[in-house]
This record gives sequence, structure tokens and C-alpha cells, in this order.
Amino acid sequence: MSSVRPDLIEKVTGRAEYITDLTVPDMLHGFVVRSPAVHARIASIDTSAARSMDGVVDVLIGEDVASFGCWGVVLKDRPIIAIDRVRYVGEPVAIVIAETIEIAENAAERVDVGYEELPRAATIQKAMADGAPLIHEHHENLQDFYFKGGAKPTQGSNIFHTYRNNVGDVDAAEAAAAYVHEDHFTFPAISHFAMEPHAVIADFKGDSLTVWAGAQTPTAVQKVLSRLFGLQLAKVRVIVPFVGGGFGGKASVKIEPLVAGASWKVQRPVRVAQSISDSMLTCRRLGAEVTIRTAVDAKGRILAKSAKLLLDGGAYSDTGSAVATKSANRIIGPYAVPNLRLEASAIYTNTVPGAAFRSIGGPQAVWAKESHMDNVAAAIGMDPAEFRLKNLAARGERTRPDLRALDMDMSELMGRVTQSFASESQASNRRSRGMAVAATDPANTPIANAIVRLKIDGSILVSVSSIEVGQGAHATMARIAAQTLKQPFSAVSTLRTDTAVAPYDWGTGASRSTVVVGLSVENAALDAADQILDMVVDVWELPKESLSLVEGGVSTGSEVLTFHQIFHRTLGVDSGEVVGRGAITPRSKKGALAESPLFWETSAGLAEIVVDEDTGEIHVPRYASAADVGRVIDRVAAEGQDEGAAAMGFGHALYEQLEFEDGQPVNATPIDYTIPRISDVPPVFDTILVENGDGPGPGGAKGMGEGAILPVAPAIANALFSAYGIRITDLPMTPEKVWRALQKRK
Amino acid sequence: MLPTPFEFERASTIADAVSAVGQEGDGMFYSGGTELLLAMKMRVIHTERLVDIKGIPGLDRIVLNDANELEIGSRCTHMKIAGDSVIREHVPALASLCANVANVRVRSVGTIGGNLCFGEPHADPPTLLGALDARLVLQGPNGTRSVHADDFIRSELETVREPDELMIVIIFPRPTGPITYRRFKHGERPSVNVGMVWSMEAGAHSIKSARVRVGALGSRPQPLKAVEGVLKGLPVHDAHRAIQSVLAQALDELDVNEDRHGSADYKRHLAGVLLLRNAEEAVAMRGRAT
Repeated sequence: MSSVRPDLIEKVTGRAEYITDLTVPDMLHGFVVRSPAVHARIASIDTSAARSMDGVVDVLIGEDVASFGCWGVVLKDRPIIAIDRVRYVGEPVAIVIAETIEIAENAAERVDVGYEELPRAATIQKAMADGAPLIHEHHENLQDFYFKGGAKPTQGSNIFHTYRNNVGDVDAAEAAAAYVHEDHFTFPAISHFAMEPHAVIADFKGDSLTVWAGAQTPTAVQKVLSRLFGLQLAKVRVIVPFVGGGFGGKASVKIEPLVAGASWKVQRPVRVAQSISDSMLTCRRLGAEVTIRTAVDAKGRILAKSAKLLLDGGAYSDTGSAVATKSANRIIGPYAVPNLRLEASAIYTNTVPGAAFRSIGGPQAVWAKESHMDNVAAAIGMDPAEFRLKNLAARGERTRPDLRALDMDMSELMGRVTQSFASESQASNRRSRGMAVAATDPANTPIANAIVRLKIDGSILVSVSSIEVGQGAHATMARIAAQTLKQPFSAVSTLRTDTAVAPYDWGTGASRSTVVVGLSVENAALDAADQILDMVVDVWELPKESLSLVEGGVSTGSEVLTFHQIFHRTLGVDSGEVVGRGAITPRSKKGALAESPLFWETSAGLAEIVVDEDTGEIHVPRYASAADVGRVIDRVAAEGQDEGAAAMGFGHALYEQLEFEDGQPVNATPIDYTIPRISDVPPVFDTILVENGDGPGPGGAKGMGEGAILPVAPAIANALFSAYGIRITDLPMTPEKVWRALQKRK
Repeated sequence: MLPTPFEFERASTIADAVSAVGQEGDGMFYSGGTELLLAMKMRVIHTERLVDIKGIPGLDRIVLNDANELEIGSRCTHMKIAGDSVIREHVPALASLCANVANVRVRSVGTIGGNLCFGEPHADPPTLLGALDARLVLQGPNGTRSVHADDFIRSELETVREPDELMIVIIFPRPTGPITYRRFKHGERPSVNVGMVWSMEAGAHSIKSARVRVGALGSRPQPLKAVEGVLKGLPVHDAHRAIQSVLAQALDELDVNEDRHGSADYKRHLAGVLLLRNAEEAVAMRGRAT
């Protein structure tokens, strides 16, 4: 029992607290009135009827907070609440603030908003067409983009970011190639569909602000709120209790400024707890149009690859710029390609804002890249696995000069998933198999701090800004502290996230916590250990080399001094603690962490499918997923992360698409939007975690949890292609789509 | 979201429930609430009063009556029907349909009557009940009346039931031959479903008559007259071929909506696929029985 994650015990016993379990004294409830218009000028807002209802305290509208200006994380493009214009269906236009949620919701129906429709651009094509309506007239760059080259909006257009990276000479390589093949793929908008929708409590008191939010990046929320409302960072406190799923949908900043605005207006705590439908109108994965071209020589060696990715960023940029940049990096894959021409743009459209989502830009890129690989292999008459093996970059080889050399061996992962299927020989006539692989560069951002406090009774407190979103980060941090200090796991508690207590960290995402925050915890634990050992050195006058930590105290070689004895004798009182501090910066470990990526997040997937040819329905009876994770710290959590990512991949592959008709959301409810259920996950599912102990994290760990989502869709599509010769180029692969492709073939 | 405020009453007799709903203002019967509460929370249905019928005795009875008919109380949950020994013995296809309606939460509280009264076109029970030749008994302030399952749904989300009529029981003759039901779904609700019920001649080698209903394509389940016609009096082992011979024509006669569940031609095609699979199953069942 002692090794069971304490957060899981809290959850299964119902004790775990999420935002909606919290009550702040004097708290009011806000209900958001949303735009039904795709793109419109707000002609009038009449809140008088709502205000006159009993129990309604106030109604926040744009003009109340217009003077605070706009906010953003890359581009400053977003008002606290719509001021004179709405840019997508679902955009907040008013918040009714009332004594109860019931009153707020009933009064919200009485807020009367007049809209004058504006020309709209609800798709990438329309937003990029000549004379397209501008969704934002100008782009204000915050110069806060954490990738090389900065944010690159194109003024006077809906293109809010373009990233280019060219290596070698693609034109010359194509001219010399034996074969050049081009494909076009599309990828839809997808909802994060976290079980817990966005919920925030904000409490503005004079010049200080406390926010309870399910935020993946509490320090980003803190920064944006501080700058937006002109508050000192130290006066903005962000508290993150348990979070019921994020997947990027709660990363950067979401509804925190909106709720803070409401609290500012009434100077009382205000809670906004969205429904899942509201959250489906809050953010989603960026859809994409991808053109990809590969040139190969007569032996099947890839000479050049070029890719152009257009990402549908929705009405506000959020972190769409980062998604675009990463999509261009992630379309390279684990291949050695001497000539590259990569371009990715993020485009404003009049739809729900795009946002980070588990492996930003990864599924879009890998869907295109790995489907394309099988097409190229088929075109040159080569087995797709052989074509991949021929072109893989080896361990230690770079896939692009400005990216860290590969720290893993993809042929090993391919071998492992193939072996997993070996018990059942060849696929039968009705069953077919497809493979896909991915190597992505997580934006690990090596900046984190941790505090580890060792108390007189041997109990240990770990304080970090990482959030516990179900992935097990808090237990992992506790495990790292326990291992470093040689104390039992049960002695360690990780504090719930609170920026007033926990030191700065960049945020929970990009598969970085185990490595970056984990290293800072390890350092903090070592610092605490050092302080304890120094006490013994001082007071017992023993050489430090003779001392070692053991469970409950310090061994001197001849005896074990308990922590209690050490503190009591050193301090002269029967109490005390040591406070260990650990920091990770790009300069840590002699700069070894500075190069990007810190590690490669890799995945190979092998799918076996059976198609009901009469209906077009695809069944996946068997799937194998392999990832090089360096070292597993918590096996159950690690396998859960890998399997959860793959299950999400099945949703992307077969079911999910947040649909818009000319900007109007069609299925933004949990009834109409389909995600896979446990019964839709392959009954035979093999999770292979390769451990070579060669990662940069504690014990040689690498980050994980975002890789397994990547190969699923192309692996299934490749199986379909291999069995029937049909190539699906847009997701999801619905039965009707597959049936039509099968019909066309006949 | 939350529903707009409403009153809540518990009735202990059918008459009380009917009169409570019929009072001034809009009242609605409430049992499982799996469709109703959702619609109220989405604020597409407003009601001033919910009348809870869960306390009325007898509405959840399942029996084989003296007239050799099955009676299913309207308030039976899908889960109850799925596990009921009478239904499992005489109408196993209905038991299995109910075992697979929606999701486990819906099945455990949602009722068959509520499902029918909601008039959702993409539903499982109306199709098979139509094929089973069921009649639905409604009780209102002026007594009871019986409506054939085929005539109950008027259009999408609309039935012939008056607001103050409570569906009390579903009655259909005990089937004498194979009953088959299949659906195709890729999401929460069925895109297409097909129910087929054969009545057998004495000796059970020939089909006396067949009822075939295709659901979810239009606003309500539709009969496949051409298929019913060709099966009449036919030896069982000729059934599959006979259906194939008239299938194209029969499918053409269906009224098919194009919606989020698929385009018209695809769903029409699926209806044929499901029907032929039902036929294979029915033939196989007959084979086992003889």
C-alpha cells in the first residue's frame, strides 16, 4: 500500500478536492453569456433586466474593463471580455454575477445583446483568401516567445505566425532524385474533452488577487494577471488544487483573466464553473492542412523533404504560434534527411481559439508524415518498414543541425512493437497491419525550482509548482525526494500547488515535469541532505565522507544517528527542519540542458485492424506502443500515461472532430461529440517502455506521456492502405469515409 | 447549465399523476429523466412542474398475459427489461436491445416509456416495437386509448401523446418466430437500425408473415413493405435470397434524412446490410429451433 500514489487514494475515496469542491467566504457565482454570432460588432448590450433580478449583484461587460487593454501569451490580442466585437461563437460577452449559480444562469437569459454581423472567415482557405476580413487589424508581439526566431505575425493578414527552417538545397536534391512524391492531408479541430471543465475562483482584494484555477501553468497565469491588472507578481497568488485533466487545454492562460475581471468589478470572490459544452467553446486543438513532399534516390534513400503546414488557430492566438513551430519540427520524424524545407503558419479564423494539446503540432504533423511515408514506399515498391529502417537517423545522429542529436534508437522501438505481434504469425487475409513512428522535440524549458524540507521526525515536504492533473507528478516528485534522501516513500508529502508557497517553475506540460522539475527536486533533496550531514560533521566532528543517509537518519559507519538526535543536539531544541533548495536553469549541469530538445520523445505504434467492408467500420483488435523513456519512476503511472495517450490517439483516428459550419459549432456538446470509450480501446494492447537509463532526468529518466498519441492514426491508415490500397487523407476515419473509399476502389 | 426553476410533485396513482400534469401551466411526467433533464438543463425544454411517476405501483410490471401477449410497464428501465426472465425467454432480441441502449447510466434509470415518449428518431426501442406490432396504452383524464407503435411518433421529437396522457403499458403478441434487431452506430445514438419479426406457419418451416421496420432514417421507423410481401408464406431457407431480390426496390422506398449520422445513400445502404444480417441470423435461429 505504501507505494500507492496518495493522490489516487484521495480520489477513489472522494476526498480529493477540485475547484468546484472549494468555497471561499463571501463567494459569488458568475455565469458567462456567450456570443451566438460568428463574427459581429456588438451594437448594444442591455443588462438592466438581468441586474434587476433578486440576487444579481452585477454584470460585467467589456466596457467595464476595456481600460485594462488586451492580454496574451505570445501576441497581445485578447480582451478580458469582448468589448465591441465578437470573433467566434462562444466568445464571452457578459458575466452575470449573482449570489447563486441558479440566479446567475437565469439572469443570463435576460442579458440582451445586439449584434451586427461582420464578414467572416471561418476556415483557413477563407482566412487566407484575397480580401479576407481581418480578424485582428494589427498584431502586437509581446516578444515573449520561447522558441528561436520569435513570433512572426504578418501584418495586414490573418497569418499570426510563420516559422521557416531550411537545410541544404531541396530544389537541387529534387532535381537529382529518382522519384518525388507529394501528398496533401488535413487534420480537424479536436476538443480536449477533459472530464473537469474549466473552473476558476478569483478573489480581488485591493491590490492583491488570489486565483484558484485548474491551471497547468500557474506562473503563466500569475504573469498575465499581474501585467493585465497592474499588480505586483508577489501580490498575485495562484492556487491549483487537483485538476481533472488538462491535455494542454488548461495550459498557458484560459478563463482566469475573465473571472478575475468579474471579481475586480464586484471586489468579492467570484466563481465561474463552466460546463463541458462551455469548455468545448473555450479552446481546442488546431486543425491543419499539410502538404508534404519527399524526394528519394533509386535505392530508396530520402534526399529531401519539404512540408508546408497551415494551422487553424481560431479567433485568438493563445499558443498557436508555438503549435505551428513545433508542427514544422515534428514533421521531420526520426529520419536522416539531408535537405529540408519546412514552413508552418498559424492562421486566425472565426472559430474557437486553438490551444496547446498533448504534443503540440505533433499529431497533425505525424498524421501527414507517416501516412506519406507509406505512400512513398508503395510508390517506389519498397516495404514500408524497410523504407523507414533505411532512412532512420541513428542514435547520436541529428535530424536537423539545430536540434539535439537523437538520444534513442528508433529501430529498437520498431523491433519491439513488431516482436509484440510475433506470437501471432502473419496477419490473416481479413486482418492487416500498419506502423508509424514519431520523434518529437518537447519544449522542456529547463527552468524550475523546488524546495524539499526535511523535518525532525524524518518526514519530508516537497514544494513545487508542478500541478497534479492525474499524471502522477506529485507522487513522482515524492518518489525522487525519497530516493535521493534514502527515506521511505510514505515519509514524503508533496504540497498542493500554490504560487505563494511553491517556487517558480515554467509549467506543467511538454513532458517536462519528471525531468526538469524532477532534477530540481533531486537538487533540493541533495541540498537538504548536505545540510543534515553538515550538522553531523559539525557537532559530532566526523568526516563527511564517512557519513551516509539511511532510513530515519544518518549512518556514521559505526552507528545510526536519528534525525531527531541530530536536530536536538545541533539546535538545542526538540524541533526543527532543514530547507533544501534546488534550481534548474539552462546553465545547470554545465549547460548540458540548454540544447533543445532536452530529450527526444519517441514512439512507435503497430496497429492491427479488421474492416467491416459492408459498413466501413474499422476495428482495432490489437495495438502495440513502444517508447524510449530512459527510466521508469512509477510503472503504473508511466504505463497509464502511454496508454492514455494512445487511447486519445484512437479518438483522433476514428471518432473526433469539433465541427464548424461556416463558423457555427455543430457538435460542441458531449452528446454529439464522440470520444472513444474503454470498449473502443483494442482488447490486446501492449505497452513497451524502453529503459536504458540514458535520459537527462533523475535516474536517467526522460519525459513521456505525449508520444503514444502520435503513431495511432497513421498506423491505422497505413493498415487500411496495405489491405485495400485506399488512402484516407483526412481524420477522423469514420465508417462512411472508409466505405466510400472502398466503393470508389470497386 | 441548470434547468429553469420548476415545481416537483410525486404522484402515487396514475389518476393523480394525470391530474397533476393537467393542472394549470405546463407539467410533465418524470421518471428516469435521462432525456428530459438533459433537455431541461440545455434549456430546450421548459416545464413548470415535474410529476414523478416512480412511486406509482404497477407501472414496472412485465408479464405474459392471458391473451398470450407480453405486457411491459412503461416505467420499466432498460436494465430491468434486459434482465427480465419473461422477456429473455420470449423476446431475447428485445432483452439484448435494452442491454445495449445508450450507456450504463441511462440503462439503469432510463425507461422504455420515456424513450418512446421522447420521440427521438435515433432510438433503439421504437424500431423493434414497431416490428413486434406493439400497441402503446395511454391514460389521460378521459380514460385510456391504445396507439399502434407505428403511429405513435408523429415527427422528430413529437408523438401523438397529449401532454396529460401517461403511457402506462406496452403490449404485443408473444412472437412465434425469430426476432432480430441490429443497429449501426458510431457515436452515442444509432445511425440506422432494423428490426425484423417473423411469424411462423405450423411446423415452423415457412414464414407466415414478416414485419420489418427500419429506424433512425426518417422521423420514425418505416416498414419495408416489399420485403414483408416477398417473405410471406416463404420457406425459411429461401428468405435471404428473396430479400436480396427486392432489396434495392425496398430501400429506394425509404425516406432517408441526411444528417450528422451520415449521408442518405450511405445510411440506405447500411439498412440493407443490417437487414441481410438479420435475415441470416433469423434463418440460423430457425435452423437451431428445428
